[in-house]
Amino acid sequence: MGGAPLCPYQLRGYAQGTTYSITYYAPDSVVTKADVDRQLAEIDHSLSLYEPGSLINQFNASPKGLVADPHLKRVVAKALRVYQETDGLFDATVEPLVAAWGFGMSRAATTPTPAAIQAILTSVGSDKLGLRGDSLVKTVPALHLDLNGIAQGYTVDVLATLLERKRIRNYLVELGGEIRVRGRKWPSGELMRIGIERPDTNALNAPVMQQVLRLAAGGVTTSGNYRQFHQTGTRRNAHLINPKTGYPFQNELISATVVAPDALTADAYDNALMGMGLAHALVFLRQHADLQAYLIYQRPDGTTAETATPGFQQLLQIQP
Amino acid sequence: MTNLERRDFIKKTGLLSGGLLLGHGLASTLAAAAPTANKLKIGIIGCGDRGKGLLKVLQELPDQFEVVALCDELPFRLRDAQQMAPARKLKTYADYRALLDAPTVEAVIIAVPLYLHYAVAKAALLAGKQVYLEKTMTYDSQQAAELVALARQRPGQTLQVGHQYRSSPLYYRVKEMIAQGYLGKVTQIDCRWDRNGSWRRPVPEPGLERKINWRMYREYSGGLVAELLSHQLDFIHWAFDTSPDEIFGTGGIDYYKDGRETYDNVQVMVRYAREGMVGSFGATCGNARDGYLFKLKGTKGTISLLIDEGIYYPEKETLKQYGTVDGVTGATKIVWDKNGGIPITTGPGPLKDGSWYALRDFHRAVSEKKLPDSNVFTGARVACAVHLANQAIYNHTIEKWRPEFSFS
Repeated sequence: MGGAPLCPYQLRGYAQGTTYSITYYAPDSVVTKADVDRQLAEIDHSLSLYEPGSLINQFNASPKGLVADPHLKRVVAKALRVYQETDGLFDATVEPLVAAWGFGMSRAATTPTPAAIQAILTSVGSDKLGLRGDSLVKTVPALHLDLNGIAQGYTVDVLATLLERKRIRNYLVELGGEIRVRGRKWPSGELMRIGIERPDTNALNAPVMQQVLRLAAGGVTTSGNYRQFHQTGTRRNAHLINPKTGYPFQNELISATVVAPDALTADAYDNALMGMGLAHALVFLRQHADLQAYLIYQRPDGTTAETATPGFQQLLQIQP
Repeated sequence: MTNLERRDFIKKTGLLSGGLLLGHGLASTLAAAAPTANKLKIGIIGCGDRGKGLLKVLQELPDQFEVVALCDELPFRLRDAQQMAPARKLKTYADYRALLDAPTVEAVIIAVPLYLHYAVAKAALLAGKQVYLEKTMTYDSQQAAELVALARQRPGQTLQVGHQYRSSPLYYRVKEMIAQGYLGKVTQIDCRWDRNGSWRRPVPEPGLERKINWRMYREYSGGLVAELLSHQLDFIHWAFDTSPDEIFGTGGIDYYKDGRETYDNVQVMVRYAREGMVGSFGATCGNARDGYLFKLKGTKGTISLLIDEGIYYPEKETLKQYGTVDGVTGATKIVWDKNGGIPITTGPGPLKDGSWYALRDFHRAVSEKKLPDSNVFTGARVACAVHLANQAIYNHTIEKWRPEFSFS
């Protein structure tokens, strides 16, 4: 870099129903909160299910589809690719099932009947969704697209691009716990440190240390099953629903933290890994060298355990 | 693949990673009870504000309770309560003994003036009823001991005491956080329960003054300590599994010189020697700014509690552990409030009134024949603490806890 010394700048705000926080190192405050909020509004206008009239809401209301903007195209293209890669475990059309199980935007705390699930399944599946030139099309009018699971990852990538356009090369962008990072802190020259939140267990874990990873560049995201669940008798119904069967995933995974070259990729795969279960996830990760992951799961005896890919282990900083 | 050792893992886990949500074990104990066939037929003895309040909550628990009887010696109260409840199959009584004689009544809520708690609760237990008794359990420590002895003889019956705030998942979570070390070593507890108002109820005719405004008269009431501060005293007993060693108190009739006998301004200091804590509990009728205040202060952090809201404020040194990271990844990240606190959450959805959880616990305790968390023993310990506090206030003495108060 050379030239003028770098100073840290911090931007914080609310977006997409959560908070964001940006730290960047630059000679001057070349990116402002107004720049960031403008960019966030543009994304909401395209991808937000909460914004009436957004492009995604228009798509869901339309019988066949519409002309997409660059945001929608990029995110759907990634969603379709990950849908293929994960054999349908990640599916951006699963929302009607999630809603039926009471985990959607409007809560119904009931268990849907098998007949209801079968009926919903006819309008679920990314094979009914496609990009044709500039258009996003669907083959079933009731198909409902929901990109909330990956929009935050995408958003931190877009905000990183915004910083990069201003020649910023040292930054950390976080929104809703999804992170995109590059470079080092100044003046220390250290890599950015990223804490991993994990579910509370019954262990008497006094608040002393946390799991921390250090990453030179990339996206870090986490998907978890530990905050949102319904209790039906002894059975916990988690909020992640298998798009193929229509029923909640029942496996041992509690959370998956993924490191990938960008946050959109990480965000798409953290969901899919949660659906795979531990053994399948580990096999999948061995075949995908660009993904590193840290998985927390429950053993049959109820205790919590964790495992990480070798690449992830290298990123973890063991504290004294 | 590398499996991280469990022990390493615990060392590395922390505040951030701990999250402030319910642990799984706790979540399951607080999970909604499955609808049961054994609906409890319940009667309410005392239809003042509290009795009517509980009647409303009972109606929100239709799978657990059926209100079959109401009792109050004041006809207008009975009428008001009756209008709140669906008319069919509901019997009304002016005399609680007649209600207790009714075999259809399986359980009773007792929400009468404090000085009657013991007599009515004793009669209810002897009549074979399940009992939900409003706080404070009894007027004095002698009655507390006698009620404990009676309850011991009747193991098939439940006696739950209405310290309902701590039935909320929020207060369970705070108890858990204390055990998990979030606060470090707690040395100070600050409690207030203030209002700006006379604490009187309107009296339709002068002859009813003592019946309606019983809280104003020492022979009926334990004053602000019994009616308000007892909840916070109880929570400290429960959360720290402790009891006071010494109680200091002061107070007076400092603003409402209206013929009342109980004080409108009190302050109680409690020494918990075993825990190494000092508790300060105050209530006034002459200022509403603080309202309900409940702060637990430890070397690692502070918890500030409202009735249905809690915030955790880490101390500076604790905060440094957060400061060592530049970002945090998590499925649902912790969001800090503007004052540097972390809201304590208890799962999706807003919390219900504490009485809702308390009455659900009562139903569960009765149907599973289990000792409720707010039981005759914990209730008796609080009654003794309240009694000592009032003696300290009225007699200008320092009151000492006695071993026989440590009921268990």
